[in-house]
Amino acid sequence: MAEEDTNSVVLISNDGFRFVVRKSAAMASPAIKSMLDKRSNFAEARENKIVFQNMSAVILEKICEYFYYNEKYRDAKDVPDMEIPPELALELLMVADFLHT
Amino acid sequence: MNRTRGKIRPPRRGLATDPVDFDEYWDTLAQSLREIHAKNASRLSFEELYRNAYKLVLKKHGEKLYANVKQLVVEHLKVVAVRDVRPLVPSAIVTGGAAFGTASSVEKRIGGDKFLDRLKVVWEDHQLCMGMMKDVLMYMDRVFCADHKIPSIYVTCMGLFRDHILRNPQYNIGKALNTVILDQIKMEREGDIINHATIRSCVYMLEALYENEDENENEKIYLTSFEGEFLAASGEFYKQEGVRLLRECDAATYLRKTDKRLSEEYSRSHDTLSTLSEPKIRAVVERELITNNIKEVMDMDTGLRFMLDNDRFEDLKLVYKLVARVDPEKQALKNMMCKRLVELGREINKNANPSTALAVAPAAVPAENGDSAKNSGAAAANEDKAANNLTVIAIRWVDEVIALKDKYEKVWTRSFDEDKGIQASMTGAFREFINLFQRSPEYMSLFIDDNLRKGLKGKSEAEVDAVLDKAITLFRYINDKDVFERYYKKHLSRRLLMNRSVSQDAEKQMIGKLKMEVGVAFTNKLEGMFKDMNISDEMTSEFKKMLQNKEGSDEGKKIDLTVNVLTSTFWPMTSMGADGMQTCSFPKELEALKDSFTTYYLGRHSGRKLSWQANMGNADLKTSFKGVKKELNVSTYAMVVLLAFNNIPAGESISFEDLTTITSIPQAELIRTLQSLAVVPKTRILRKNPATKDVRPTDTFAINELFTSKFTRIKVGMVSANRAETEKERKDTSEKVDETRAHQIEAAVVRIMKQRKVLSHAELVSEVISQLKGRFNPDVAMIKKRIESLMEREYLARIDGERHTYKYLA
Repeated sequence: MAEEDTNSVVLISNDGFRFVVRKSAAMASPAIKSMLDKRSNFAEARENKIVFQNMSAVILEKICEYFYYNEKYRDAKDVPDMEIPPELALELLMVADFLHT
Repeated sequence: MNRTRGKIRPPRRGLATDPVDFDEYWDTLAQSLREIHAKNASRLSFEELYRNAYKLVLKKHGEKLYANVKQLVVEHLKVVAVRDVRPLVPSAIVTGGAAFGTASSVEKRIGGDKFLDRLKVVWEDHQLCMGMMKDVLMYMDRVFCADHKIPSIYVTCMGLFRDHILRNPQYNIGKALNTVILDQIKMEREGDIINHATIRSCVYMLEALYENEDENENEKIYLTSFEGEFLAASGEFYKQEGVRLLRECDAATYLRKTDKRLSEEYSRSHDTLSTLSEPKIRAVVERELITNNIKEVMDMDTGLRFMLDNDRFEDLKLVYKLVARVDPEKQALKNMMCKRLVELGREINKNANPSTALAVAPAAVPAENGDSAKNSGAAAANEDKAANNLTVIAIRWVDEVIALKDKYEKVWTRSFDEDKGIQASMTGAFREFINLFQRSPEYMSLFIDDNLRKGLKGKSEAEVDAVLDKAITLFRYINDKDVFERYYKKHLSRRLLMNRSVSQDAEKQMIGKLKMEVGVAFTNKLEGMFKDMNISDEMTSEFKKMLQNKEGSDEGKKIDLTVNVLTSTFWPMTSMGADGMQTCSFPKELEALKDSFTTYYLGRHSGRKLSWQANMGNADLKTSFKGVKKELNVSTYAMVVLLAFNNIPAGESISFEDLTTITSIPQAELIRTLQSLAVVPKTRILRKNPATKDVRPTDTFAINELFTSKFTRIKVGMVSANRAETEKERKDTSEKVDETRAHQIEAAVVRIMKQRKVLSHAELVSEVISQLKGRFNPDVAMIKKRIESLMEREYLARIDGERHTYKYLA
């Protein structure tokens, strides 16, 4: 079931939650960006859908939140801090490393 | 995730603690990578591959992964080399290349094209696959390669392509590639059509590959192994082309072909090869076709000379463009052009040279003068005629020089981009031949004289200005400006005294221009001459008014006197022939008038000396022949002679002796005057006995009652107008010039020494030259002589012990 809207992409967590994210925001991650690269034509690019086997919905949600946060404040100064629950911090760090964000 | 606050809890799942089996993960990964090579990526999940690579790296298997990937790519490339590329390598290259040339060009082209095409496809596949692998293995690149400072997998795999495809030890693909590309380019240069795009892609490939993994910009494969061969082959090609063109084409065609080649190579390096080579290949073409051959081309029959002579502006422009490419100084062009210019100048000089010109002159002299040439009078007339011819020649000379200058100026603006250097050398050339011609200052002044006397009639102010400007530009070229000044003064004085000048404005303009060129010192005497004329005008009218007011005197009523009082230092007295007192006895009514003016003048300006120069004036006489009224315009001398006949009964004659006594005109002048009155047919007012062509002291003269003329006003041509000098006059002039120069040199020496007190000989000489070069080029020997003379007169002295140093004696 391919997502028709080419401006957004579907991110799916390992427990089956679907997050529809604007592509431009998700592209903040080079990993996601190359996954969606039309030239290499991987399954993800074809279906416009990425399944992350190593992320739970809680984490992925926070990731998506960050994507928008990043896009919103990309060029701004005096950026307000983003809320990160301490219990998620370490896991988020690892995922950030994975996504190269 | 750059912000963390509060307490950090361990992750819920211990990712880091999971044991990972390398082989298991690698097998999946390798399988997928092979799928990528087989272009089946769409079945694969990027995320899965990425995650696998991520895990392997995380578990410290990075090094093994890296090596394995390399191995996998090498195996693939080996297969590609054998399966895809080898069959299309032109066979001759593999076996050594001996038979390569025999294939027909069509076969060669198609074969080459196919080979390049395949190589291009292989390269693009490789690039694409490596791009995908790089993406998938991004985590490895980022963590493992960066940490261990080894080249990223992409770079490494590009190196693998270089080693296993291009430099394949068995098949020599790289060499084949070079040969094929060069071959194709050669075909295109010879007029075939080739596939630019394929070559371009292959060149892109060469440009994207480097000698080693550092990817140093200067070590692109393109630069290291292709470009050199390309340039060498091009050099060879253009060398032959140059020889062929020189043999087959005329100069213009050669230039056009060269220009075309240059633009072809330019577009070739943009469309087909790499822009990196653009300057290099340009240098090759420039060297082979321009630098090595341009001189020969310009020397051709149809070369530079032909173009200059025939106004081939376009061709000349091309010459300039091409020469400018290889030599910013354009030395070759300058030299050749100046050579031609000087050649033409010498030609003009030769035509204007009196000795050659006089060969033409006798034909122009009427036969009646020819038989009595031995007689002094006729000889003088002859000389006058010759001199008049010279005037024509002088004007022609200037005209020709100006025409030449116009022509080259045009070439310069239209073809040479108004190049400053070329202008300078053109100026040099003009200077050279103009100064080579000794009469140039005289001729130039004559030209200006001619124009100011009659040439300017009917011309607009702008045209006048143009003519004068041209004259000035030529003037600039003259080294001996003082000689010019001398002639100009002489000519100007004649114009002023005889009212020959067409326009005062034009005269003033000319002087203004001269002033701008060489400064006030040069022109203040000329301006003084004008001032004298103006003051004289005022004074004359004032004098006349005074005479009218004076009751009981009728002097001035019958005679209208105009006096020009000349300041003797401003006017070239000597060259006007007024060395000493040139006077004569005036008839008494004139004498009275003269005395009254003298009184008047000295009354106004006491302490001045007024000397009357009869030889420079002229007079209008009213008379009648057989009842027909005539007005005669004659020189002052002629007037005195004619008035002498007033005092004797009509029909009587006066002997030469008596005339001498009555008029006390110097004998030579009297002869000349009588000649104009009694010999020249049109103005034979006096009857001479015997009626020979020349005037002797034994002759007698009477009024020619039978004189007729269809004009009422008759001009007796006595004082000849400005004309070129005869040889003798020239010699006098140059002697006088030398004399003046001697004074100027002495003045300069004294000026310098007064300021410097002590100076060495060499320094002094160079100072003098630099001070005087605006007026003339002093001769070193002359300077030396003047210094010696100054030492004799004790202005200077040698310093004891130092032989070549002088000191100034106050």
